Amino acid sequence: MKLKDVDRKALLRPALAGAALVIVAVLTLEGTSILQYVFSQKGLKEEASLRAESQLEATRNQIMDVIDQAEAAVRNSIWLASWCMEVPDSLHRVAERLVEDNPVIIGSTVALVPGYFKKFPLYAPYALRDGDSIVLKSLAGEEYDYPSREWFVKPLETGAGYWSEPYIDEGGGEILMTTYSVPIRDKKGNVAAVLTADLSLDWLTELVGNVKVYPNAFSVMLSRTGRFMVCPAETLVMHRTINEFVVGLDERSKEIDSLAKAMLSGKEGNMPIKYKGATSYIYFSPVERTGWSMSIVIPDAEIFGGVRRIGLWVKLFQILGILMIVLIIRSVFISSLKYRAMNASREKMESELQIASAIQMAMIPKIFPPFPERKDLDMAATIVPAKEVSGDLYDFYIREEKLIFCIGDVSGKGVPASLVMAVTRSLFRSFSAHDFGPAHIVQTMNESMSADNANNMFVTFFCGVLDLKNGHLKYCNAGHNAPFILTDKIAELPVKSNIPLGVIPGFKFQEQEVDMVSDDAIFLYTDGLNEAENINHELFGTDRVKAVLHTRRGSMEHLNAVDEAVREFVGDAPQSDDLTMLFIHYTAPDGKSSGKRSLVLDNVIAEISKLAPFVESIADEKGLDPSLAMSLNLALEEAATNVIMYAYPEGTNGPVCLDAVIGENSLEFILSDKGKPFDPTAKPDADITLGVEERGIGGLGIFMVKNIMDSVTYERSEDGKNILTMIKKI
Amino acid sequence: MEVNITTKGDSKVVKLIGRLDTVASPDVTKALEPIIEDATGTIILDCSEMTYISSSGLRIFLTLRKASMAKGGKVIVRSINNDIRTVFMMTGFLNLFTIED
Repeated sequence: MKLKDVDRKALLRPALAGAALVIVAVLTLEGTSILQYVFSQKGLKEEASLRAESQLEATRNQIMDVIDQAEAAVRNSIWLASWCMEVPDSLHRVAERLVEDNPVIIGSTVALVPGYFKKFPLYAPYALRDGDSIVLKSLAGEEYDYPSREWFVKPLETGAGYWSEPYIDEGGGEILMTTYSVPIRDKKGNVAAVLTADLSLDWLTELVGNVKVYPNAFSVMLSRTGRFMVCPAETLVMHRTINEFVVGLDERSKEIDSLAKAMLSGKEGNMPIKYKGATSYIYFSPVERTGWSMSIVIPDAEIFGGVRRIGLWVKLFQILGILMIVLIIRSVFISSLKYRAMNASREKMESELQIASAIQMAMIPKIFPPFPERKDLDMAATIVPAKEVSGDLYDFYIREEKLIFCIGDVSGKGVPASLVMAVTRSLFRSFSAHDFGPAHIVQTMNESMSADNANNMFVTFFCGVLDLKNGHLKYCNAGHNAPFILTDKIAELPVKSNIPLGVIPGFKFQEQEVDMVSDDAIFLYTDGLNEAENINHELFGTDRVKAVLHTRRGSMEHLNAVDEAVREFVGDAPQSDDLTMLFIHYTAPDGKSSGKRSLVLDNVIAEISKLAPFVESIADEKGLDPSLAMSLNLALEEAATNVIMYAYPEGTNGPVCLDAVIGENSLEFILSDKGKPFDPTAKPDADITLGVEERGIGGLGIFMVKNIMDSVTYERSEDGKNILTMIKKI
Repeated sequence: MEVNITTKGDSKVVKLIGRLDTVASPDVTKALEPIIEDATGTIILDCSEMTYISSSGLRIFLTLRKASMAKGGKVIVRSINNDIRTVFMMTGFLNLFTIED
């Protein structure tokens, strides 16, 4: 399986999950909104039906009220009309009374059947409301020909009351009218006349036209023949019938046909009608006796408009919501991709770091004991990086019976530090290859490292050259912690701090030296040790280091013991810095004391105090008489004081080295300095015979040196040192 | 180094305790300044607990001696141990001071 396939498969899952999530969200939202829509639509539909039907009922009742009134008025006049048949002159009174007594009736006639009176072949007195008065007219003109009129014909045919087709009254102001007519029989039971009542239907137009179930709903009233009586389209009113209208439609449908049919046949019901993409609900109901059909037309948008508008908003929000879900999932997906990519690159980096770490560790000696064939050297070293790679280093090797070693700590940690560490280590190797002077090695390294130090990385460094033949250790410290020297006690090796490598080019590093005797050891470490922190942010500190070193062990055992102590101290706190330790245990070739002791003093008077214990230890070793020890101390103090006071220009520092070579019968003290040439022996002796007044203050010191020592010689060495050699026979 | 100065009548007793080496000398000089300035009467340097002296210490003794002599006073060095006596001898100081046990 290729890596790419794995990647693709790994990516597929979150992508699918995201897609599934979106789909589920869409379905849920969509489902609930559909349900809500369906239910609310159903409810709205029911409400619309209720409203329409009750409105129809109410309107019909109002119409029927008027119809009933008119019919009752007419019926009540039948008797009178019948009676009046006997006295034709009074017939007009019947019509007049009908109009007078009934405000809904605007006109009335009693039209005789032609020939009923021989005297008048046509007779039809007509009472008409004209404002507040009633005008009497006659319909018996030739041109009107009332006997042929529907209102006259139909009641005679059926023998019952008849509501005429609505019509526009041409004579009386273009108003919509209808006429109710009943046959009148005379006392003999013969049909004698037709009594009519004319009703203005203006109120109907108003009544029906004002039926507003919804703002854009409207009502239509059809006559018996299907003629539009009331309709918002005024051009249709009285000019078209429903059938004519239907025929003229652009999109005629079965539903429209059946609606027309149902209304014409006086049925009650409702029907949805689709026309030009819009649906309307039509509720219809007949008006009894008149043959009219009333309907309420409610556009679908009226009923559902609200819910649709809300639905639209809901949809909008849903779309926004889904969009957001998609965006969120997308960003989650992308960040998971990034995370994966980051993980992959981190894993790659980690594996590269591990390789780097392995390379780095391969640079430094890691096999212990490093010199198994040597009896004079027992060494151990460990390096525990805080991160994958270390910014610490140590190194050592033997050349011409000299152990050249170093320890260093690069500022910072991790990869940048490790690179500097690698550079430092190779510089150390190259510059120490032909050089036994630690100060010179360090100085050369410093020149290299500070020349191009763009990143201001620096290295604290300690370099030592131990002469394995005699235990003489020369060292140079570049800002590193003072190592511990383990003699019969444990002390920090006196170090001049100088400055770390890479800080200032041209800095003059000072070298120091000490003589190690058989069984002495030196313990070097980086600040990852003494500055190891526990969870309470307490530092391990040098005292704890000293305590562990107190029990003398093999080199590796020492390091293990220190390591264990640190681990115990630190506990669960994370390691914050690289920790490196180097332990060098020296054994003199003859297995005995090298017979040489060294002391390095700074050129300050306070350093004189170090002489007494130095002399003391030699006196102890040789079993010297305390008085002799005291006078040796005195001589060395006088000689050293002289150097401290006069060798170096005031305000400058310089080492004052005192080597003691302990022979069988003699002690040889070599006092050396790098100051200005000065031969103390050349000074004339103080004249001790002089009296108080004549005695000078100076000159006594060197006089005493000469007195105490058996031999005092001075030389100026080729490398610019004053060397005063003092020998005391014992 | 410890310096204790006590006055008895017109004599001053300076007790020196410890090592009078180069390191200690400046402090001792300072401690003895009042006596050097007013080196009248008898100045007794009690060396019973002085364990060591170097040339710088000897110089202080000599300074005191000179000051005292100028004022017509007297300096007595009391109870020096053998090692210090050797130093005094070596430097001719035995001849410059009145040494008392």
